[in-house]
Amino acid sequence: MTTRREFLKVSAAGGLAFGFHLPAANAQNVAPEINAWVVVRPDDTVIIRYARSEMGQGSMTSAAQLVAEELECDWSKVRVEYADTNAHVRRKRAWGDMAAVGSRTIRQSQDYLRKAGAGAREMLIAAAARGWDVPAAECTASSGVITHGPSGRKTSFGKVAGAAAKLEPPKEVALKDPKDWKIAGKPIRRVDIPDIVTGRIRYGIDAQLPGMVYAAIAQCPVFGGKLKSADAARIEGRRGVIKVLPMEDYVAVVADNWWRAKEALKELPVEWSFGANESASSESILQFLRAGLDDASSVVVARRDGELEQGLAGAAKVLEAEYFTPYLAHATLEPMGCTAVVKDGRVDVWTSTQNAEASHATAAATAGVPLENVYVHRVQLGGGFGRRGGSQDFVRQGVQIAKALGSTPVKLLWTREEDTQHDFYRPLSLVRIKAGLDASGNPVAWYSKISAPSIISTLLKLPLKEGIDPQAVAAFADQPYSIPNVRIEYAQRNPHVPVGFWRTVGHSQNPFMRESFVDELAQAAGKDPYEYRRALLPAASKEYGVLEATAKAAGWGAPLPAGVHRGIAVTEGYGSYVAAVAELAVSDKNVVDIRRLVLGIDSGHVVNPDNVVAQMQGSAVFMLTAMFWGEITIRDGRVEQSNFHDYRMMRLREMPKVEVVLAPSGGFWGGIGEPGQAAIAPAICNAIFAATGKRIRSLPLKNHGFEIA
Amino acid sequence: MVARVQVPKDARRGEVIRIGILIQHPMETGYRLDSANQKVPKNAIRRFSCRYNGAEIFSAEMSPGIAANPFLQFATRAAESGTLEFSWVDDEGEQGSATEPIKVT
Amino acid sequence: MKRRSFIAAALGLPLLARAQAQSREDFFNSFDTDGLVKSVTGGRSAQRGRVNLELPLLADNGNSVPMKVSVESPMTEADHVKTLRLLSERNPERAMAVFHLGPRAGVAEVSSRVRLAGTQRVVALAEMSDGSLYMGTADVVVTLSACLDGAG
Repeated sequence: MTTRREFLKVSAAGGLAFGFHLPAANAQNVAPEINAWVVVRPDDTVIIRYARSEMGQGSMTSAAQLVAEELECDWSKVRVEYADTNAHVRRKRAWGDMAAVGSRTIRQSQDYLRKAGAGAREMLIAAAARGWDVPAAECTASSGVITHGPSGRKTSFGKVAGAAAKLEPPKEVALKDPKDWKIAGKPIRRVDIPDIVTGRIRYGIDAQLPGMVYAAIAQCPVFGGKLKSADAARIEGRRGVIKVLPMEDYVAVVADNWWRAKEALKELPVEWSFGANESASSESILQFLRAGLDDASSVVVARRDGELEQGLAGAAKVLEAEYFTPYLAHATLEPMGCTAVVKDGRVDVWTSTQNAEASHATAAATAGVPLENVYVHRVQLGGGFGRRGGSQDFVRQGVQIAKALGSTPVKLLWTREEDTQHDFYRPLSLVRIKAGLDASGNPVAWYSKISAPSIISTLLKLPLKEGIDPQAVAAFADQPYSIPNVRIEYAQRNPHVPVGFWRTVGHSQNPFMRESFVDELAQAAGKDPYEYRRALLPAASKEYGVLEATAKAAGWGAPLPAGVHRGIAVTEGYGSYVAAVAELAVSDKNVVDIRRLVLGIDSGHVVNPDNVVAQMQGSAVFMLTAMFWGEITIRDGRVEQSNFHDYRMMRLREMPKVEVVLAPSGGFWGGIGEPGQAAIAPAICNAIFAATGKRIRSLPLKNHGFEIA
Repeated sequence: MVARVQVPKDARRGEVIRIGILIQHPMETGYRLDSANQKVPKNAIRRFSCRYNGAEIFSAEMSPGIAANPFLQFATRAAESGTLEFSWVDDEGEQGSATEPIKVT
Repeated sequence: MKRRSFIAAALGLPLLARAQAQSREDFFNSFDTDGLVKSVTGGRSAQRGRVNLELPLLADNGNSVPMKVSVESPMTEADHVKTLRLLSERNPERAMAVFHLGPRAGVAEVSSRVRLAGTQRVVALAEMSDGSLYMGTADVVVTLSACLDGAG
């Protein structure tokens, strides 16, 4: 019988530790810690703790590589475990930020992780030296073994760990130069791969507890509406139905299995008060955004260089275009959900989350218990993409339902329809771009006005400095080209559709617009799009470097087979610099056959090259899916799409060949999870223009009649 | 404006008691946009005062940094029986008040 | 303009202190607490101590965070807390609240609920009847605002 439905105890060596039981003691206090990040067992097993979330982006492994590198342990003896949020709170946030968002796990934590590894190493050496009564300076550590140089005496980490744990951590540690890396910088296999391949990996959705019941929910189809009534009596007698819970903005049906809960919910008569937004549609929303573009009354300027009007007036040629990108859903493979139990003032939660600390805080606030009484049990995520970080709605719901059930554990699981229709969508955006070219075709003026919702205002409810949402204007306000007169304006328009962080956020759409328009300028100037950009980028800039490396790898300029055309794009994002070259052919039936997609990235340092390649390839899947078919449309105030039949995913056979060019220039730490997407859409669309003469100014491509081969 | 006051049912003279009040008020930050994309004007309760038999025992100047539906709890030594009077005014000049008897033995 | 610096500037964050990857302590210590205090006291600094500011370590969103501030003081006519100020470096209005106490208070203690514009260090500044200044701080991580660059 499959183990998927059984309890899991702490797993065997080589895998990860998952517990779907309620631990009596906090297991993390049992083994001797050298510091919060490093535990060394007497048998030389090294446990490296990971604070953030692993959702397939691989940072659980890269973060551990950084610690292990400085620690000088034997990688084959390393096990990576999640830091426990309850211990974290009791120890005053010993593990710092737990959010896996913004492509910043490595770049934000690399310094303190490496220092933790180095500090632990120094303490282990000091303990050995003390034991031998020799100066620590005469000892070295390598692969988990400490050697006293002059005498040749050796010992292992495991033997001195107990003594080391009692020592004071060193005040200062020196870190290795990345060029001396032996573990970091290497394409080490991800630590979770064995469990993924053998099916032992556990996601939030896999939680199982004795006596657990199941909840399905329905939220108001029109955003912002409230529940008016639910006729519970009509379904209470159905087999398996335990309770019907009407809440302010959703109704939950609890049953002894999820199918019964879901089917009963379908039969539950529910009345909503839809609120003011029932008449909203994609058309009315677009009108609202357009009014933002045309509104001259209160202009928010995100960037002002030189004198735009003068620049345009003096231009030999002026080009203008409007670009549009739609709402997008996250469509994580695992829908939203949360398993929770509230008992005797204690809350236990199992949920796929991008920020266990946020889940912890939400659970505490929802249950009304102190932070110290909450336990968030760590699991892997079946996809995050930004959905499970800044919005913890599923945790709030799970804990609310659990509280209403007394002390019975409950697994809340959303249907795919609920997940598609109650997302925090990638914001739509309508942008007007205008540029002036001089007689040689060089841009002398650039204007962009962006009319788009603000995630920071509406989701995070934080004030915007000077009215600018940096994500809405990303890639425009910090555009790298040498153009003397630039003005970037932002018109905040928040339709009723909730927005949130979708992988790559503002860089998932603005580089498409910017780099496509740069292509339009290059065309108007009669110049090669690659050379055009090279001439406009400062030669010492990282954009220049990655653009060149990518173009070279792609063989830009070399002859192509008949019918095959190229497109190129470059941009910064999340501290990294990315470029893309697409080679494709378009048939007379508008079928796009992508022959080659070359993606380059300069992330400064590379901790795990294999993982960076995987992330770039994954970015290609995500962005190609979005750009060919992705759009969320609104009718009668509600989302029209519901499942994968009308929100299409790419198929295996449609995946083109993706070549990744790693071009790390060293000296900085750039993100990996998101920037890979940023240059893909413009490169593809620029290639489509080269192939067909058709300029794509809005996505998805299906709306222009294009299909993927 | 609606407010709910918490005062101990009875207090002994000289005892330190806690007085609480919860006022219904949005404490608008001035950054929220309504559905027509207009800024909802900043409007917070600014001045608050509590008088115990006419003598002011506590006052506060607030900002939108105090959460919506402001809750305040402060201490005072129970003196004699009488009346607690609460009064406040917001950015729009709207005034609010509440009274609560206090019994001291 | 570098993207990270742009975002930091657009959010009103002091650029230099937060643009690099840093430890949690570095993040909170990079707030200019003394400068914040001086800006409301006309240049005077406050001594640390006697003021206990209680805020939860984590708040899921910043909209309503329970707060309690208390000061060690006999609260006599001769020796009492006159005012208690709550200061924020990240909120649009730095002076979140000012509470006026006096000897009738019995104990110097105020509870409320505050609104925090993101992860920050909050300062409670007490002015005593003799004019002396004391302060206490509390670091609050607003977990849902962690999605922003440099939010710590």
